[in-house]
Amino acid sequence: MKVAFLVNDLALSGGVGIVTRHAHRLSAIDGWDVTLVLVREQQEHSWHGYEHLPHLHVRSRPEALGEHYDIVVATWWETAFTLFELSADRYAYFVQSLEDRFYRHDEAERLGAGLTIDLPVSFITEARWIADTLAALRPEAGCHLVRNGIDKDVFAPPAQAPVNVGGPLRVLVEGSPSSWFKHVHEAIEAVSRMREARHLTVVCGEREALGEVPADEVLGPLSHRAMAELYGRTDVVLKLSSVEGMFGPPLEGFHRGATCVVTPVTGHEEYVEHGWNGLLTDWDDLGGTARQLDLLCRDRRLLQFLRTNALETARSWPSLEQSSQFMAGALSAIRSGPAPTAGPAAARLLADLRGGLEVYGRHLGERASYRHRALRFERPLLRVRHSGPVRWLLGLRRYRVVRLAARPLRPLTGLARRLLKG
Amino acid sequence: MSDWQERITRETAPAIQLEHELRYRVAAPLIASSAGWADLGCGNGLAAALALGDARPPRIVLVDVEEEVVARAAAELGAPDARELPGDLTSTEDLERIGQELLEPGGEAVVTCFEVLEHLETFLPLLEWSGRLAREHGVTFVISVPNDAFWSIENPHHRTAWGEGAFAELSTLLPAERTMLRQVALAGSAMAAWDGRVEQHDLTVAVGGEPLVATHLLAAFGPRHAELRPAALAGMTDMSGQRRWERQRESNLALLEEQTRAQSEALREREVWFEEWRRYIHELERELGRPPSGVSEEQLPHHGERPA
Repeated sequence: MKVAFLVNDLALSGGVGIVTRHAHRLSAIDGWDVTLVLVREQQEHSWHGYEHLPHLHVRSRPEALGEHYDIVVATWWETAFTLFELSADRYAYFVQSLEDRFYRHDEAERLGAGLTIDLPVSFITEARWIADTLAALRPEAGCHLVRNGIDKDVFAPPAQAPVNVGGPLRVLVEGSPSSWFKHVHEAIEAVSRMREARHLTVVCGEREALGEVPADEVLGPLSHRAMAELYGRTDVVLKLSSVEGMFGPPLEGFHRGATCVVTPVTGHEEYVEHGWNGLLTDWDDLGGTARQLDLLCRDRRLLQFLRTNALETARSWPSLEQSSQFMAGALSAIRSGPAPTAGPAAARLLADLRGGLEVYGRHLGERASYRHRALRFERPLLRVRHSGPVRWLLGLRRYRVVRLAARPLRPLTGLARRLLKG
Repeated sequence: MSDWQERITRETAPAIQLEHELRYRVAAPLIASSAGWADLGCGNGLAAALALGDARPPRIVLVDVEEEVVARAAAELGAPDARELPGDLTSTEDLERIGQELLEPGGEAVVTCFEVLEHLETFLPLLEWSGRLAREHGVTFVISVPNDAFWSIENPHHRTAWGEGAFAELSTLLPAERTMLRQVALAGSAMAAWDGRVEQHDLTVAVGGEPLVATHLLAAFGPRHAELRPAALAGMTDMSGQRRWERQRESNLALLEEQTRAQSEALREREVWFEEWRRYIHELERELGRPPSGVSEEQLPHHGERPA
């Protein structure tokens, strides 16, 4: 089986990491030949230690254009633009989130990302909520579920959940502060509103974007092993995200015996059960979140109960190896099954494009309306500015004596200038 | 230390034996009316023998990793003509051999594969083989896995972890035409005759609704998948065994609590002694004109001045 996974680059990120781990494991199966195709122009190849694996290759887009594959798999909406440029028997799309939600309503990328799930491809996804959404949006398209496995060697579950009898509640907040939907600063704010003793650790690779925060410890970026070690001395993983795909961090915490306090974000329903292995907190309720954390600090029996059950949940979660078996099974099934028909996909694509154009048209209309309203104020000002007396007065500025005499009036003239210039 | 019993024996807890027997019972009508039946991971054949009774298909193929176990299963089933195949279900060659033995006489065939997937290093060859046999040869498969979220304890014999989510993943790899069932635990009670004679009772049990926590997850695919019907099986609980386990846990807990209490008490006493000794030593040191031990320079009353 000759498979190509399309990635933008091999930079360290959650999504790319999952793809490379799958690629790595698949390449170890007899008869499988796996290529990571870098669709974005690269300064130089970044092999990230894969060069010693005989059946895993890294290729640039131009290099891959000369090859033929059994299956080519897009892994991020931008990579879908390259999908059909490559020669393959089957085309698939590994959907790790509904990626249009990463963009705000007026960003053009939102429409582009949304349209890619209308392509005539077979889908593979890592979360049941995405599989259910795709089934609703594209009932005719096949969708395989391949949840992300956890590296059980790194995130090794302990025999029993560690006990914190009376120390401060150890809270971990992680995520990118520059991603608006991760709400990292809100999570930190919620911890700072706690009344009980706590120890807050923030893990973040972007210190500048994080700024000064009231944390006991700021770490990062951390390797998986360092992260696993940190989860092992954490009581609660706090995540207040509003957009998630498979929602991995609390699950990694579960594997090391930590419970979680999370918003009911997409992906949580796969493994977080309120009052059993974690707590759900409401949207934008920082006070309520702080009270839940205080409760866990005061009620150590509840904390230990949640941590014990979190560990139990982790034990039934598939490993990386099992997950890659599902991925291999999905790719084999796609390869041996019929190719998706283009008709329904094209109909859906055009319908969504029309919807997008209508939204874009509405945005343009709103903008024109704002412009029209702004002009109602600008026009009289322009008329005054271009009137004869005002132009004569402004012309006097060329005389030094006038400029000296007008100096005391500067604050006033400055205001008038700003008004006239609009 | 857990006593792992991956094979069902006569000594296995009654509840576990019943669970296993029920899986064979739901497949029994298919097996009995087929021309061939293969039991992958047949074990000792105890549950299959109980579930099938005298009904036997003409061709029986018994597969397990150990030759001795397969022979025991054939004896238990009273099937001397059974094809006994020790084999590895991750090997495509072994799977082909099983397929040939099963399909040789022709006619409809059924394959049962209960509590096996979780033991395999890779289940892909088995999945591909079963999908092909179902598609091309009209073989009906009935498979099951345990719900590890329910059992919770880490089993050293299991290579993969299963639950509702993992089974949902698996189901996307199975043929679209399939039947899925959840096996759930029952609780009950019965009145027994005073003299202890064994009596059979017909039970009516309502099964379903919420919460529906599965102990095991089943799927059937192939032409006769829809014949797999929900069923229930009840038996007497081993109350003495359960009581032993619960009392052991209670007594362990009581012992640990008492040990903790005694240690806390001892610690408190030692703290009092320690404080008294410290005070006494400090008094002596004061009388000798020495700085009190266990106190840093900064904590001394006249920091910086040497005592006389």
